[in-house]
Amino acid sequence: MKKTVDVSIPIGPMHPCWKEPIRLKCETIGERVLRTEVELGYMKKGIERIMRGRPWQEVMFLAERICGICSVIHNMVFIEAMEGISGIAVPPRAAYLRVVVNELDRMESHILANFSYCYTIEHETLAMYLLNVREIVLDQLERITGSRINTAYMIPGGVRFDITEEDAAALLAGLARVEEDVERYTRMFATSYLIALRSRGVGTMTREKAIEAHAVGPTGRASNVPECDLRLQHPTYQKLGFTPVCRTEGDNFARNMVRFDEVMQSISLIRQCIGQLPEGPIRGGGACTAGEITYQGEAPRGELTYYIKSDEYGRIIDITVRTPSIMNIEACTHHMINDVTSVADVTSTFISSDPCVACTER
Amino acid sequence: MTTYLYEKDLRQMKYNILISTRHDLMVREIADRLGVGPNQVRLAMIRRFDMSLLENLPSRYEQGQKMADAGSRVAKELGCELFSRFIPFVEEERMQALCSEVRDMIDTGLPEEEAITTGKRRIREAILQ
Repeated sequence: MKKTVDVSIPIGPMHPCWKEPIRLKCETIGERVLRTEVELGYMKKGIERIMRGRPWQEVMFLAERICGICSVIHNMVFIEAMEGISGIAVPPRAAYLRVVVNELDRMESHILANFSYCYTIEHETLAMYLLNVREIVLDQLERITGSRINTAYMIPGGVRFDITEEDAAALLAGLARVEEDVERYTRMFATSYLIALRSRGVGTMTREKAIEAHAVGPTGRASNVPECDLRLQHPTYQKLGFTPVCRTEGDNFARNMVRFDEVMQSISLIRQCIGQLPEGPIRGGGACTAGEITYQGEAPRGELTYYIKSDEYGRIIDITVRTPSIMNIEACTHHMINDVTSVADVTSTFISSDPCVACTER
Repeated sequence: MTTYLYEKDLRQMKYNILISTRHDLMVREIADRLGVGPNQVRLAMIRRFDMSLLENLPSRYEQGQKMADAGSRVAKELGCELFSRFIPFVEEERMQALCSEVRDMIDTGLPEEEAITTGKRRIREAILQ
């Protein structure tokens, strides 16, 4: 039989560049990668099964523990799904505060993703700068919600804490610092020769392939799929006149630049929210009831879908969670990594799609 | 893919992916469409696809339902793009050849329904082999 593969290289499950365990098996011919296969199952939590049969008050805390990086959006989508089932209305002030917290979460997630990429391509200086600026964002999240990661900020019919004038002023001051720093780091990223060598034209995914694999979030938008941003369909974002960031190159560079641009966009959205924050209560009334719903929201990594079926006491009978990393990891390993010209680009290309294994395995 | 002595047997984990709510719905729809049992479809998927692709199959199937085979009734009925690009059961070249065969049958005067039934049988054989 004709030999088509030189070496099959296993990468992971434990690898210095991976934040979480996952195994890639790359079949190579010379330096070129022909095919990649993914092996999961190193950190399965079985969280959907743990959620079944429990009251929503417990499930809301479990939902945000699916992922430690984008926990706010898991909280938001679960709560908005329960509100959809039960017909609970949210006061306008609470709706704006939800957007503020959600965008802060998006900022810290995007900055962490770009840190990981810079660290993977050995640009440690920029990586450390980014990690430093992420702390400011997490401080703002803590200021509003009382917690840096698992905030449990949203509840059916509103949010748990209001924002005071001093907090709003401190938030805007913090954002001004982040804006100044991120602008500088974006310029560093966009103009560096070293970064261009490792990023431009590497791991390219076309729009057709992105649609085929249902790539979502910055990964999809970097391949010119702007319609994948679900914030376009969210009523509060529509009031803010939201338009998605989009690029056409579809390579590692584009994916990182989309995330940098979205950090700046999030700053502007938060400023808009604080500027237009309506007066009024932050909690409405209502009880969770029986029903069934499929609800989607835009997580930092892309489309997050919850299918929920509840009984008349608000207990969760059935729940399925589809996280964006499921789509993005698949798109990355089967479309971006295939045909990269150097094995050294496998790790950076994989990290450029901002994979979250905790989300994928749930 | 190449197999190794030290590789784990992933069949049980792959099966667990395929029996989740969304996957089960998708498997049953595909099985109905192909006219085979759900377990045969699951087996074909476990043999062909890696874990990441299996996890993403419902999304791909949804995308395929929306976008694949637009404009041609024969292609839509056979699932030419759906079962080659979106759910890669059959290689694209082979699927193209199968679809062309069905179109040739129709051109030579065979009734459309009969040609489609023959085409579906061939696609089913290609998927289950």
